Amino acid sequence: MRVQVNARNRGYQFDTQPGEKVLYAGLRAGIELPYECGTGTCGTCKARAVSGRLRDGWPQAPGRKFVKPELGEFLMCQCAAEDDLTLEVSKFVYAAEPGAYAPAACAGVLRGARMLTHDVMQFALELDQPREFDAGQFIVVAAPGLEGYRAYSMVNYERGARRLDFVVKRKPGGGFSDWLFGADRVGARLALFGPLGKATFYPGVDRNILCIAGGSGIAGMMSILSHAVEERHFERRQGWLFFGVRALSDAFYLQELSDLCARCPERLAITIALSDADVPGSAARDWPALAFARGLVHEVAKRAMTGKYRNVRAYVAGPPPAVDAALRVLLLEAKLTADNIRYDKFS
Amino acid sequence: MTKRYVCRTTDVPVNGLREIEAEGGLKLLVANAAGEFFGYQAVCPHQDVPLCEGLYDGSVLTCHMHLWQWDIRTGAPIGIAEVPLEKYPLALEGDAIYLGDQTTALDVGELFNGISPDTLAKLAALARRETYEGGSVLYRPGDPADDIFVLDTGRVSFLVGRDDRTSPGGFMLRKGEVFGWAALLEGNPVRIASARCLEASALLRITGTDVLKALEQDPAAGYVVMRRLAGLIARYLASSGAK
Repeated sequence: MRVQVNARNRGYQFDTQPGEKVLYAGLRAGIELPYECGTGTCGTCKARAVSGRLRDGWPQAPGRKFVKPELGEFLMCQCAAEDDLTLEVSKFVYAAEPGAYAPAACAGVLRGARMLTHDVMQFALELDQPREFDAGQFIVVAAPGLEGYRAYSMVNYERGARRLDFVVKRKPGGGFSDWLFGADRVGARLALFGPLGKATFYPGVDRNILCIAGGSGIAGMMSILSHAVEERHFERRQGWLFFGVRALSDAFYLQELSDLCARCPERLAITIALSDADVPGSAARDWPALAFARGLVHEVAKRAMTGKYRNVRAYVAGPPPAVDAALRVLLLEAKLTADNIRYDKFS
Repeated sequence: MTKRYVCRTTDVPVNGLREIEAEGGLKLLVANAAGEFFGYQAVCPHQDVPLCEGLYDGSVLTCHMHLWQWDIRTGAPIGIAEVPLEKYPLALEGDAIYLGDQTTALDVGELFNGISPDTLAKLAALARRETYEGGSVLYRPGDPADDIFVLDTGRVSFLVGRDDRTSPGGFMLRKGEVFGWAALLEGNPVRIASARCLEASALLRITGTDVLKALEQDPAAGYVVMRRLAGLIARYLASSGAK
C-alpha cells in the first residue's frame, strides 16, 4: 500500500505493510515525520487523513486529546493504513540526513533480567541483527499479546550493538511493566522498532554536558555518559549528572557511575539527589567518587549549577513532573536556549 | 473599529501572563513586561497549547510543550520556534486595557513584520485584498510571476510540475504566510508551480515590481525583506540539519 504525505513544504510517498503504523512506515523510509514519544501519548504525530481508510490500534490513547476525529485527524503512531492513504501534516517535513540511522522493525530475545532495586529491573534484548543508534535514543517494544508499544531508552552505547540494555520501573497497571514483572520472562521474543528520539549526544556536540534524570530516566544518561567518556569528551569539556531518587535504597548503577567518574577525575561530577530521605552517613564512605544531596533533583541541580551554565547542553529525562521542573530551571534560571535543551516528551 | 475592553492592568501580575476573553469574545494572551502590556494569540501556533501555561520571565515566552520561544515585545520567534505569534495591539486608558485594531496579514507577514511603518503603509496601499472560492486556481506553471501573495485566511496548496508529472509542493495555512515570491526575482520570472485554494480563502496581492520599488526607497526595510526571503527559500530547499 502506498502512503502520500502532503507536508507544509512538500510531498512524500512511501510504502507501508499491512498493520504497520503510518509513523513507523514513514520513518523506516527515511522521512522525518514529526513524533516525540512514538507511543500514543504526546500528540506530536497528529495528521489529517485526506483520503483512504485507517485502523486505529489504540482509540483510548492519551494523545487522542490533541486530535479532532471529526476533521479526519489521527495519531500516526497508532494508526495503520487499510488501503492507499493520502494525509496532510501541518509541519515542515524533511528527508533524513544521509547516514542517519534509519529506524526499522526487528525482534529480540529477553535476557539477563535482574532486579536493581525493589522495583527497578534491568534486562537486555539480544537482537537478531546488529543495530546502530545514537546515545540517548530509545526503542519502542511490544510484549506478546499486548496491544501497542512502550518506549524504553537504551542504557548501553556501542556501534553495531547486538544487545540493548534497558531499565524498567515497576508501575502497577502499566501493561508492559505488569507483563515484565509478572513472571520470569527470560527467553521471550519481543517485537521492537527503533531507534527513535532526538535527545542524543554525539561527539560533534562540543559543549559541557549537563544531565538531569529522575528514576529510570537515568537509562539514556548512562548511554550518553558512556559514549562521551569513550570519546574522551571530558578531556575538553565538563560534565555533570544529577540523578534523582527517593532514598538511597532506590538508587542504582552507583558502581557504574563511580567507574565513569574514576575515568574523568575533576571533569565529571555526579550527584545523587534523595528527595524523601536524608543522606545516610555510609553513602560517602561507600561511594567516595559520588556526591549526595537531599532534595528534589531539579533543586539540587539548581543549587550546584549556579554560575556554571556557560556553553552547556542539557539532557533531561524522567517522570513528567521532574522533567517539567528541570525545564523550568534550565529556561528561567540557566537561560539556556531551547536548542540546547534535549528531552523527549513522553506526556 | 471600536475599542474592546480586555481587563484591568492589575489583573495581570508584573512579569506574568493571563489568558483573557476580551469584550466581543476574542480570547487573547496578555503579558505584563515590567509594567508594559502586550497582547497575543492565546494558543501556541505549533499545537494549540494554551500559552498562558507557558514559562515567562518578563522578556521571553516559552511554550512548555515543545519549547518554542518568542520575544514578548515583538512576538518574533526565537530559537527553535518556526513562526511569530500573532500580535494584538493593546491600548491603555488609566488602568484599563483595550484591544485596538487587529493587525493585518501584512503586519504579521513573515516577510514584512517589523519593517518601518511608512514602508508597511506603502505596501498596504499597494495590496489588493481578494477572496476566492475553494478550488480556485491562482496560477499555473509558465504563467508570468507578476504578483506576490500574502495569505489572510484559508488554505492554499501547491503542485510542482506539469500535467501528470506533478508532485505536491506543500501548503500555506497561516495568516501572513507569503507565496508566489518568484515575483520578487530579477528578470521575467515565471511560475514553476500551480497554486490552488483548498478552501474559501482571502489573499492580499501585491505586484512584485511595486514591492521592489517601495523597498528601493527604504533600503533598511529592503535588506530585512531580502534576508527573510532568503531564509524562506532555504526552508523549502534545505534538509532539517538538526540532529
